[in-house]
Amino acid sequence: MTLLNPTRPTPLEAPVDRSVLRCLWHHRAGRAGALLGLALLAFATIGLAWTPHPPDLPDYANALKPPSLTHPFGTDATGRDIFSRIMDGAHRSIGAALAVLGAIFGIGLVVGTLAGLAGGLLDAVLMRLADIAMNLPGLVLAFAVLGLLGPGFVNLLIALIAADWAWYARLARSMALDARGRPHVIAARLAGIPRRRIVMGHVLPGVAAQVGIVASLALGSTIGAISGFSFLGLGVQPPHAEWGALLAESRLYVPIAPWLLLGPATLIFLSVLAANLVGNALRDLAAPEAR
Amino acid sequence: MGYGTERVTGRPAFLRGGGRLPAAAFRIAQAVLTAFAASVLVWALMPLAPGDPAERVLLARGVQDPTATEIEAARIALGLDRSLVTQFVSWLGDLLRGDLGQSFTSRLPVWQEIMERLPATFLLLSLALVVSTVVSLILALVAVAYRDRWPDRIVRLYTQIGAALPTFVFALLALTFLVVGLGMGRVLSEPTFKAALIPAFIIGLDRGASWTQLLRAGLLEAMASGYAEVARARGATERRILLRHALPNAILPFLTAIGVSVGALIGGAPLIEAIFSWPGLGAYVLEALAARNYPAIQGFVLIAALSYVTAALVVDLIALILDPRLRERLP
Repeated sequence: MTLLNPTRPTPLEAPVDRSVLRCLWHHRAGRAGALLGLALLAFATIGLAWTPHPPDLPDYANALKPPSLTHPFGTDATGRDIFSRIMDGAHRSIGAALAVLGAIFGIGLVVGTLAGLAGGLLDAVLMRLADIAMNLPGLVLAFAVLGLLGPGFVNLLIALIAADWAWYARLARSMALDARGRPHVIAARLAGIPRRRIVMGHVLPGVAAQVGIVASLALGSTIGAISGFSFLGLGVQPPHAEWGALLAESRLYVPIAPWLLLGPATLIFLSVLAANLVGNALRDLAAPEAR
Repeated sequence: MGYGTERVTGRPAFLRGGGRLPAAAFRIAQAVLTAFAASVLVWALMPLAPGDPAERVLLARGVQDPTATEIEAARIALGLDRSLVTQFVSWLGDLLRGDLGQSFTSRLPVWQEIMERLPATFLLLSLALVVSTVVSLILALVAVAYRDRWPDRIVRLYTQIGAALPTFVFALLALTFLVVGLGMGRVLSEPTFKAALIPAFIIGLDRGASWTQLLRAGLLEAMASGYAEVARARGATERRILLRHALPNAILPFLTAIGVSVGALIGGAPLIEAIFSWPGLGAYVLEALAARNYPAIQGFVLIAALSYVTAALVVDLIALILDPRLRERLP
C-alpha cells in the first residue's frame, strides 16, 4: 500500500483527459508498457478462440517434451502443450486481474465519493467499515475471506476485492472532499448548476482520474496475487489452466523437466512488467514534479 | 490548532504540548484500538462462516449426521445460544488468557499449535527483512552516488525486474535454477538459522527491489532540495550531502514503507513457505484452509494482524525519535 503514501500528494487537476493516450505514447517507458500490454491482451483474446494444440487434451505419447518448434515451452506430464495452456489461461490471469481492479475502482469510487459528499452518518458508517478492513494486511484479509468462502476462482476474486476496496474508498473520499473546495466546483455551484450535475460532471472525473492512476499502479501486484493464490490451489481449479496453477503443476516435475517453469513465469513477468510500466508512466504524467 | 494554544487547557502535564512521551502514548493507544478492531474482525469470521456454527463444530469433531437435539445441546454447551455481544466478550476474555479455541482437526489448542510454528516464520521473515533493508540501502545509495552512470543503470534494471517478478515466481526460479541446479543447498530442511539463510536471501532480494526504487526516489528528491543546494554552496562534497543530509531526510518515508511491507510479508508467508517447504505459520494456515479449520484460520489472521500493528507501531515510534517535527503533531 505504499502507493498511497500521503507524503507525496498528486494534484487533482492532473492532465488526465482525452490526451492521456497521446501523453502515454510520448512517455518512452509508458509506450513500451502499453504496447506490451496490448500484445498480451491480444494473446489472451486469441487464446479464447484458438490455441495451436488443444489445451486440455492429454497426449501421453508426447509427455514431458523439452521446448521445440512445435511445443515452444515443452509439454506437461500428460503431454499437453504448455504454450497452448498458457494461451488458454491468459484470459483467466489477465482478465481476472482487470476485473478485480475494475471492481475495486468502482466500489472505491462510489463509496468514497458518496461518503465524502454526503457526510454525516453515512460517511461515519462507511469509513469505520473501511478502517476495519484496513487494519489487516490485504493478503491476510484475502486469506480470511477465502477461509470463509472456501477455495475457488470466483471466491478468490471476491477475496481480493474485499482485501483492497477500503484503500480506494479512503482515497476517493479525500479526493472528493478536496474537490468540493476547488475553484471550478465553487464556480459551478455559483452558476446554479444542479448538484447532481456538479457531482457527475465536475467532481467525479477528477476523483476517477486519481483513483484510476493508483489502481493502475496496483495492477501488477494483483496479477501476482491471483497467480500466487492459484499456485496454492486456492484460485483457479484444475483442469482449467491459469499461469500460477501451471507453475504449481510444473513444480512437481522440476527435477526432470525444469523448463516447464519458464513459460508461465515469463508470461507472469511480462504482464506485471507491462502493468508497472503503464502505471508508473501514468503517475509520472499526473505529477511530473514528483519525478 | 498549534500546540502552543493547548498549553492553557487543563490537560494533564504529560499530555500538554509536544514531546516524545505524549506523542508516543497517543500512538500506542491508537495501536491498541487498532488491535481491538482487528480482533472484532477475526471473531466475526466464526459467525460469518456459512452453515450453522454448532453443527460445524460437531462435524469437525467427527459426529456423523448430528441430530437436531445433538446440535441444540452443542449450541448450549458452546454458548452459541447467547447474544453475539456476549459471545464476543467471552471470546475476547479467552483470547486475553491465551485461549484461541481448539483446532477442529487435531483437537489441540490452536494457541499451542501456533506457538510451535511461529518461531520458524518469525526467523525466516525477519531475516528476509534484514536482507532487503541492507540490499536496498546499499543499492539506493550507490545508484544516487553514480546517478545516470552504469551503477545506477544496473540498479534500475534490478528494480524493474524485481518489481515485475512476484516474490513466489522469483523464489521458484531461484530455487530451481540456482539453489538446486547448482547444488547450493537442500530444499527441505529443519527451520534453523542456517537453513533460513538462502530462502531469506531470495525473498529479501526480491522485496528489496521496490524498496530500492522508493529510497532512490527519496534520495534524489533530497539531493535536489534547498538544503542540499545550501550545503553544496558551502562547499560540502556530494558524498557528505548524500550521507549527512539526504539520507536522514529520505529514511523516514522508507521506514514507513518497511513497516507496511511487514504486512505484505506475513500475507505472503503461506506462499513463500509452500515454495521453500518451510514448516511455519503459513504452511499451518494452508492446512487449515484446506480443512475448513476455522479456529486455526482465526489464529493466523489474529497473529498476522497483531504483527502488522506492532510493526507499524515500532516504525512510528522510531520515526518519533528521529524526527522532532512529528512530536508536535498531536491531534
